[in-house]
Amino acid sequence: MYRARGLRIIMQRLHQRIPVSGELHPSAVAPALKTFTSQQQQHHRWTSTSTAAGKQSANVQVTPPPRHDWNRAVSEAERIVGYPTSFLSLRWLLSDEIANVALHLRKLVGSAHPLMKTAKHLLYNGKNTMQAWGLIVLLVSKAAGHAPSVPDVEQDKSAGVLHSQRALAEVTEMIRISHLVHNSVVNLQSSTQAGQDGATYDDMSFGNKIGLLTGDYLLGHSSAELANLRNQEVVELISSAVRDFSESEFIGERDEQNNPLPYKPGTFQRPSLSVGVDFNEHDVMTPMPIAQVLGNPEQEWECRNILNAGSLLGKSCQASLKLAGQSEELQRHAYRFGKHLALAWQACLDAEPFQCPTLPLDATFSLVSAPVLFHLEHDPSIYAQLEAGKQSVDNIDYDKIHKAILAGPALAKTKELQRKHTAAALAVLQHFPATDARQALENIILAMQDL
Amino acid sequence: MACLSTSGRVVCGTRRQQTHKLLYQLFGTSSGSVSGSGVGSRPGYAGNPHPGLALPKTQLQAQRLFHGLSFNIGKDYPDLMQSPHSCSHSLKYSQCSKTNLRQHSSVHTQQPAGPVREFQIDPYIILDDDLKYFYDDVRYLLKSGTSQPELDTIASYYFDGQGKALRPMVTMLMAKAINYHLNNESHQLVHKQRQIALFSEMVHSASLVHDDVIDQSDFRRGKPSVNALWNHKKVTMAGDYILSIASIMIARLRSDDVTIVLSQILTDLVQGEFMQLGSRETENERFAHYLTKTYRKTASLIANALKATAVIAQADDNVAEVAFQYGRNVGLAFQLVDDMLDFVSSSEQMGKPTAADLKLGLATAPVLFACEKYPELNPMVMRRFSEPGDVERAFELVHKSHGLEQTRFLAKKHCNEAIRLAQELTESPYQKGLQVVADLVINRMK
Repeated sequence: MYRARGLRIIMQRLHQRIPVSGELHPSAVAPALKTFTSQQQQHHRWTSTSTAAGKQSANVQVTPPPRHDWNRAVSEAERIVGYPTSFLSLRWLLSDEIANVALHLRKLVGSAHPLMKTAKHLLYNGKNTMQAWGLIVLLVSKAAGHAPSVPDVEQDKSAGVLHSQRALAEVTEMIRISHLVHNSVVNLQSSTQAGQDGATYDDMSFGNKIGLLTGDYLLGHSSAELANLRNQEVVELISSAVRDFSESEFIGERDEQNNPLPYKPGTFQRPSLSVGVDFNEHDVMTPMPIAQVLGNPEQEWECRNILNAGSLLGKSCQASLKLAGQSEELQRHAYRFGKHLALAWQACLDAEPFQCPTLPLDATFSLVSAPVLFHLEHDPSIYAQLEAGKQSVDNIDYDKIHKAILAGPALAKTKELQRKHTAAALAVLQHFPATDARQALENIILAMQDL
Repeated sequence: MACLSTSGRVVCGTRRQQTHKLLYQLFGTSSGSVSGSGVGSRPGYAGNPHPGLALPKTQLQAQRLFHGLSFNIGKDYPDLMQSPHSCSHSLKYSQCSKTNLRQHSSVHTQQPAGPVREFQIDPYIILDDDLKYFYDDVRYLLKSGTSQPELDTIASYYFDGQGKALRPMVTMLMAKAINYHLNNESHQLVHKQRQIALFSEMVHSASLVHDDVIDQSDFRRGKPSVNALWNHKKVTMAGDYILSIASIMIARLRSDDVTIVLSQILTDLVQGEFMQLGSRETENERFAHYLTKTYRKTASLIANALKATAVIAQADDNVAEVAFQYGRNVGLAFQLVDDMLDFVSSSEQMGKPTAADLKLGLATAPVLFACEKYPELNPMVMRRFSEPGDVERAFELVHKSHGLEQTRFLAKKHCNEAIRLAQELTESPYQKGLQVVADLVINRMK
């Protein structure tokens, strides 16, 4: 997967005649960037990455060719922390079980099992996937540095991260993928439509088996890798992120395939809280107190997505600093950074289907995505349309809802939400010393904002 | 919880007719003493025919005391069961003399080489204090980790106390046998070991929950299985949830080595499942493949949980290895018997349909043994009993062959090895309990 993306980037660079090891080599550029404000950084990034930047560079509002920027930010970041950070290491490719899975997956090619979609999504990641959670963890690790007490053998000197942090980054990706894969399981209960379709039942059942085992394999291996880190606080924290993932699939109403549906407007009469809810930082066993915020679109969205994404990224960043022997305070900053970054990214993904005036053919969106929740607050009558999805979200007229949402203020509010979390992530980053790694994180965040 | 042991004892009586001779040869006990204890007539032991084999008399009396009475007895003597030296405590109750004390102190050196049958020890009763609230504790843990009632309901569905609790029972027996061996029975240590027992049962349940989604069977333990009742996606997540809560609990023991030992269980379990998927192996490799799979799917959990109790007690490597090997042998025997029962038990007894393995396309030990006599089974094994009539034909051939006896014999061999290993530990009621468990495993009906 890395080779594929690497090639693509190289092709883009050749096309644009930008020297691959040009003026933007991070170690050379980073010190000069330290004093720049964020707007200047964007300016700088923009002028240095586009050959046609001349007349547009003054105007930051102009959206640059999005994928280019994003890919560049990511590949630069990868160089900063050493080699590509994906779990797709040689070890992984050579494992018997994975060879086995690949063999079985081939039997599923051509079937309608969602596992195939997930696999494709993971292998050919476009901009729709935050492909590099491990990368973020490593960048945060490098940005924070490590306590002087950490012995030399533990360090990967050239990359500036600890071996244990690299292992943790791998675990983070494995856990995330295991969740995605487990989420591809199809509900085959006899009461459901999928369970009654005799023609595809065997395919579905086989796909479930492979998906379940693959996810378990990843979980099992992450737990073994975690154990080898010999830090029980880290094990506790990451295990709780696995817990949060499974909890996230239970919140609110669901259709037959467990796709989430929003609550009926007016189900909850709660005043909105002045501060967002979050985990109890003294006891990882305590679950997210989500009941307090149900019904409030922004805070409910936040909670759902912390469980769904922010928890793992935040807790991994926090755990990585634990491994480096950093202070509790810096660990908390790392958690917040990961959380806000994940939320900003989710808001960006949520807004995407609404970027064009008509919904592309066959495209859908989550019914608990930020634009839908905001629109429900603005116009509760749209709920009647959503009720059609009680059995299956496929029964919903997405075009109609898409149109309604575009006519309302929901998209603007979603953008505002994204900006809020982007700003929060950038603000937390100021607690870290200015380094090339911090710069790379800022670049990634800013590139994301332009997507 | 005592159901297994009770039925175990009953089985002893019925099975006696078949294996009576074997037992006699193996253990040199008179049939009278075996049958006496087998049907539960304790007083037979008063005139213990093998004084050298058993505990001192005073202790026997104390044990008989709990046995003769109901479970409540356990509550009346809580310190008897938790105390660092239950043997010496029992002396208090029987008001023994100093001579008895001396006799007791030399027990360890009087230990004979041959296996000991202590049928009057019921492991579930000597562990009553540790197991009584076991499922309540699991349910409490699962409840405290989530704000979602449905997740809690699915996750705790199999912790209804209807299971055999074999894994926690063996884990606690080994823990206490080791503590006695090491002369270290602090409450704190026992508490930590109990968490390992909780972990073993939680991981087992999580694997059952995921197996239910994979196998699509409608019943387990005599009630609808989780996949029949809930959305399969939610069931999958509930399995992950149980694992995550179990890992948090273990991480809180703050022992790096215990976490490492226990994490091995998870990788083994999945690798075992993967082995079950493919049947590429040739006829020669098949049995080895089956045994490795059985180790990974069943025995590893018991073996590593037992090893973890030794590790947390800071036992040396030899003791940890004894614990591990004991668990491995008991686990293998347990699964072999399970595979055998799949052919002989009725659905009511097992709580799940019989010949279930054949229906899933799995060739277990009885079939593999039967292949030697009926080579026509080979192609059926290769096509995973997928053609109509395969399951029925294979079922019939297994019964016609000696497959079931051979499976039992193999299980027996593992049990004997387990008993031998248990005897390497200092003699104690728990150490004897470990030997009794090996018997229960081979004689169980469900």
